[in-house]
Amino acid sequence: MVAPWARSQAGARLFGIASLVAAIALIESLIRVGVINRFIVPLPSQIIAALPRIISEENVLHRFWQTTQELLWASLLLAVVGIALGALLYRFRILRLACETWVGALAAAPIVLAYPLFLVLFGRSATTIVAIGFAAGLAPVILKTVEGLAATRHVLINVGRSFRLSPAQQFWKILLPSALPSVFVGLRLGLIFAMINIVGVEFLINFGGLGQLINELAERYDLPGTYGAICFVILTSIVFFDVTQRLERWLTPAA
Amino acid sequence: MDSAPLLDVQNITKRFQTADGVTTAVDGMSFSVAAGEFVSIIGPSGCGKSTVFNIIGGLVGDYEGRVSVAGDVVAGTHPAIGMVFQEESTFPWRNVLENVAFPLEIADVAKQERLEQAAHFVSMVGLRGFERHFPAELSGGMRQRVALARTLASKPKLLLMDEPFAALDEQTRLLLGDKVLQIQQALKQTTLLITHNLTEAVQLSDRVLVMTYRPGRLKRVVDIDLPHPRNSEVVSSDAFGHCVAQIWQDLREEASRGIQEDESRVLHAGAKR
Amino acid sequence: MSAVSAAPTVRQVTVLRIVIIAVVLAIWEAVSASGLLFRDVVPSLVAIGKSIGGLLAGAEFYGNLGITATEIGIGLLIGGVSGLAIGIALGANRFLSHAYEALIYYLGPTPKIIFFPVMIMWFGVGTGSKIAMGVVSCFFPIAISAASGMRQIDRVLIRVGRSFRATTWQMVTTIYLPAMRQPIVNGVRLGLGVAVIGTLLAETKLSNRGIGYLIIQAYARFDMPRMYALLIVLFVVAIAANALIGRLGRPRHP
Repeated sequence: MVAPWARSQAGARLFGIASLVAAIALIESLIRVGVINRFIVPLPSQIIAALPRIISEENVLHRFWQTTQELLWASLLLAVVGIALGALLYRFRILRLACETWVGALAAAPIVLAYPLFLVLFGRSATTIVAIGFAAGLAPVILKTVEGLAATRHVLINVGRSFRLSPAQQFWKILLPSALPSVFVGLRLGLIFAMINIVGVEFLINFGGLGQLINELAERYDLPGTYGAICFVILTSIVFFDVTQRLERWLTPAA
Repeated sequence: MDSAPLLDVQNITKRFQTADGVTTAVDGMSFSVAAGEFVSIIGPSGCGKSTVFNIIGGLVGDYEGRVSVAGDVVAGTHPAIGMVFQEESTFPWRNVLENVAFPLEIADVAKQERLEQAAHFVSMVGLRGFERHFPAELSGGMRQRVALARTLASKPKLLLMDEPFAALDEQTRLLLGDKVLQIQQALKQTTLLITHNLTEAVQLSDRVLVMTYRPGRLKRVVDIDLPHPRNSEVVSSDAFGHCVAQIWQDLREEASRGIQEDESRVLHAGAKR
Repeated sequence: MSAVSAAPTVRQVTVLRIVIIAVVLAIWEAVSASGLLFRDVVPSLVAIGKSIGGLLAGAEFYGNLGITATEIGIGLLIGGVSGLAIGIALGANRFLSHAYEALIYYLGPTPKIIFFPVMIMWFGVGTGSKIAMGVVSCFFPIAISAASGMRQIDRVLIRVGRSFRATTWQMVTTIYLPAMRQPIVNGVRLGLGVAVIGTLLAETKLSNRGIGYLIIQAYARFDMPRMYALLIVLFVVAIAANALIGRLGRPRHP
């Protein structure tokens, strides 16, 4: 028999959160008692206490802004280049037939593993980070753009023809608006990939904003700080994911 | 009064290459539509009506024969011909007013001017007050009215419609038909309507052209003597029934022939396997 | 009004592909020969080719490949099994799903490499931390696809199993897993992709063995042809593995 409070969604969620808090409290006591080594896992209470310290001492706002800037540049490139390439592939069918599987392979390729190459090309700089973010997020933008354009309802294209639209007008006034929901989905995917890779590369090359913060704190052996910063970055990326999800739902009315 | 017809269709023949060989969709159809006339083409499903629509509208090439509108030969879509399609064709990302203003926007009419003109046509189809609504918020019939208003906004010499009310229920059809007729009479808009609905054809037209089943040929031309102004009430009159009876005989023949040919084709395809 | 132009033939597409590849290679070689970019940044194709040859001929490569492959394999195994188990549990039980699935769903698209310092503290600087990175990376996509795969199983099949009084283990092996083959394969495909990334990035950051180590070594020595060689081989293997698993997942038709 399922308890009535267990049947509701809200009840379940509350249970989930409560159990997590209980687990953290358990870990806290296990560390205090000495079962878990406190030099490997710092006290959760210490981690929480470290957060305000990090925010004030480590210029978290500034670092956040740095990462955001890198992401913004990557987004701009993704939107302009990705949509343009997608439109190109749509426009020339033979090009699409030749290259679409390649773009699909690109989506599966572990681009970020080539970061040492980017380091050589662009040095330890924001350019490297933006370039990797862009490269990692490009494939879904292109694929979704092509998909959206190709899915334009035939009758709408015929409406354009009946009004004697030029190819450029046909593209800007009919094809692209029709494809926009799909394009947004692609852009969101591209942005998620870009964000993940940007923060990751910041950590790896010890340059930039939030990713670099974690690296620095780890090298300083600031345990609560490192854990705290990791939690903070994870939280930020969760918020980013959620916000973009809501944006996408708002911009793409259910077809 | 002897004026050249607005639409002149001469001997159009269209053949398609299919898996089973060459199909003739339309075979040597000729007819004309005078300025201000409302003509319907009626035929059973599969008779090639939509092909005729696409040929006259300039969406399909590669046919024999000639189509000219206002003396100008049609080769590709023509500015003097306005098309209303059977399927949903409003732009979902534009509101009603912006949809209707579309052809004016293409013609580079200034924004204020074109929105005013569009509002006029929106009102004409009876959608005043819905200018800011988006198509998703409207019913199917309302959306077709938007499509009609949009086409009218381009001030075409010939209004060409392909079963625009096919997806609507009978009552809505009758009332929309009234609206269309009202507008047509007010604007003296030359109109060619493709339909499979007998009531609609008789209700709205001055003449009805009956097509045979594939290959589509002109079987009969029926003059509709019902007086103008008409509205949907005419449907219950004797004169209406008389016109319908004239056309139904031919239509029934073609429709049955169509069903028989379809069935035998399916049987043959099944036997081949 | 002309009809739509005929569809491109397979032959034409192949020719275009060859042309594109040839043009790209030609531009590469031209840039390399011109010396436009600093020294070796764009090495000649010949140099790269030689390096690939040398790489594949040497034992050093295979030794490190074996280490990396083992790390990824173990990581995928641990992450895969735990991901499947938890995913199935979440998919089967509505309450658990509402309590915990959101957590997994939202933790999925985050940069896992930032956990690396913690993994080092817990598992040391050796292979252990690399395997841990692989586990953390691949757990999420596999759990998520297993959970949603569970939910989309035809209810009828579950009832059939219950009517034969199958044990939980039997339900899992004879009904759940076969019915979920498609989403699980997709999840594993994604999981492999991110496990490769997680493990290799960890190797580049802190290791003295593995393919990641070889790459960062080539970077440190500025041996560009070798770096390109390693990356090319790595990408070919990764894309091929992805495609292979994809084939596995294709529905079998009678």
